[in-house]
Amino acid sequence: MSDQYLLSRDHLAPLLRRLAKEYRLVAPVRNDHGDTMFQEIANPVATVPDLESQPQNSLKDFLFPQQEHLYDYRLDDAGGYHFQPPATTTPPTLFFGVRPCDLNAVLYLDVVFLPGRRELSYRRRRENSLLIGLNCNQPFADCFCAAVNAGPFLEEGSDLQLTDLGRDFLVEVGRAGGAEIIRRWPHFFRSAPAEERNRRFQLYLEARGGFSRQVHADQAIKRLAADTLPSGVWEELATRCQDCNGCAYLCPTCTCFTIVDQPQDQHHGRRLRLWDACTATGFTAMAGGHNPVQPGKDKLRQRFRHKLELDVKKHGRPSCMGCGRCVGACFGGADILHFINLAGR
Amino acid sequence: MTIDKIRPGGVIDPYLPVRARISRIIEENPRIRTLVLEPLEELPAANGARSTAGRSSAYQPGQFVMVSVPHCGEAPISLASSPHEPELRLSVLKVGLLTEALHRLPVGAEVGLRGPYGRPFPLADLHGRRLLFIAGGIGLAPLRSVLESCLAEPEKFGPLTLLYGSRTPADLAFGEDLARWQQSGRVDCRLTVDQGAPGWTGAVGLVTELLAELEPAPEQTSVLICGPPPMIRAVCRQTAATGIAPEQIITTLERQMKCGLGLCRHCHLDHHLVCVDGPVYTLAQLQQLEIMELG
Repeated sequence: MSDQYLLSRDHLAPLLRRLAKEYRLVAPVRNDHGDTMFQEIANPVATVPDLESQPQNSLKDFLFPQQEHLYDYRLDDAGGYHFQPPATTTPPTLFFGVRPCDLNAVLYLDVVFLPGRRELSYRRRRENSLLIGLNCNQPFADCFCAAVNAGPFLEEGSDLQLTDLGRDFLVEVGRAGGAEIIRRWPHFFRSAPAEERNRRFQLYLEARGGFSRQVHADQAIKRLAADTLPSGVWEELATRCQDCNGCAYLCPTCTCFTIVDQPQDQHHGRRLRLWDACTATGFTAMAGGHNPVQPGKDKLRQRFRHKLELDVKKHGRPSCMGCGRCVGACFGGADILHFINLAGR
Repeated sequence: MTIDKIRPGGVIDPYLPVRARISRIIEENPRIRTLVLEPLEELPAANGARSTAGRSSAYQPGQFVMVSVPHCGEAPISLASSPHEPELRLSVLKVGLLTEALHRLPVGAEVGLRGPYGRPFPLADLHGRRLLFIAGGIGLAPLRSVLESCLAEPEKFGPLTLLYGSRTPADLAFGEDLARWQQSGRVDCRLTVDQGAPGWTGAVGLVTELLAELEPAPEQTSVLICGPPPMIRAVCRQTAATGIAPEQIITTLERQMKCGLGLCRHCHLDHHLVCVDGPVYTLAQLQQLEIMELG
């Protein structure tokens, strides 16, 4: 990231109000239940983003939603079978306050969904989105992004990248959409002096030292690649997993899905795409009963191999971003940290 | 705010099925029927380009299509026809909700198709070789596509032998095809059933027992296998033991699939996704993978 500016903390709310006139604004918001979620801010005067908490959901909810209406289908009396894509609206969307783990997760989704024209809806949403990232000065309790090179600061991939300096935010310009914001609304920004840029580095070093967990992801990655895991790891994880699939749904990079038909009446129905999870019982089972995966033993194996072995081989980096959401959600003790710890035993 | 259709700029939507009408139904046995299909639109291929369904360039033996059945969703089904035939054929074993629904559809009804998907049998590599086809039950469907291609270009292939096993004489499927192949004198068809029945004068036993009677020339023979996993396992082991190289022993795998595009991951197999890296594999390739069929 090259150009750097300062945005006064007092100017953040007015800037978001201005941007919300041009874009659908999505940011972390603390709701009435006390949970912080990425959600649309319809009225940025009344709703202020919560930049102090980790959102429970990720941008996956917006770019690759849990339920996607693919088609309406219709059967006519002559036996005809017709599919019609629903009319869709794709508002230009600005995602604000995206932490480095979640931003890296979007970059991973890009690698999965953008090549080869396999996926039109993701492409449409992604091409209509801007990402304003926020570096993490203080990692959250379950975070281990530094162990998988996904944080706590982001080096590239966002349109604008913010670092909280206290009275100001340091604003680094990344992709073209960020430069466009600076160009259109220059009065919000002022040039960043060298000492403020140096403070960013100081904050980065402090953040790196601020993790409460020691996570040896490298060792797990090496042992998976060399097939030298301690014996019994998969069996223990399979015993602990309670089949809730929460890890996969909360995970910003899990992209397994299923496609189902939902009949409306005798002649009409919808085809939906829904999130699925490779840990789900029946994920690989075929009609007739054959199952090429032994659920009793191997049900978590594909999950962790995919994230820490297969994607390292294919894309050069693990697809776990260390956000720690699965760690907080898993009540059986079968989350990825548990795996990493077992692998290092 | 912009409103766009799901296919901006004329881009093909890879999930959108095309319509195909059932023009003929062959009841192969009480549990297997063959649907002869007439596509009403062009099939979009996996890469988003348009191919022309039903014409020889549209697909290759060993590839599959995702078949939509009203209110039942989609399932991957091998193309049983050869690209040299004028029509598309799907042979379907009644085994679950979707296939049971396919067994209830009448002539004139429509299904949805998308594809073709997957890596086909490496036909060009088989030119000049003796081909030994070994199938069990519905497993003859994808091999039928290869066999018909070989028969359409006989000068390219060596002698063809088919070993076909069924549970009982009543379960023998593809009777029309078997009779035609036998009458042609160009396919040495050998049938067996697990359990005999009154009137059955043919072989009784597993297909591996038929195989034991053959003495394939290991240097010149390629084997194509499709059937239930225990059969694949036994036949791979047995043919490899005759000295046929694992690169010349070829099979095709069945997996749950939802997309066919290498995205949904239901067909994960070690570091492969069967829908794009398979479903056709040589034994040499499978030996590099951790796979249930080789147990």
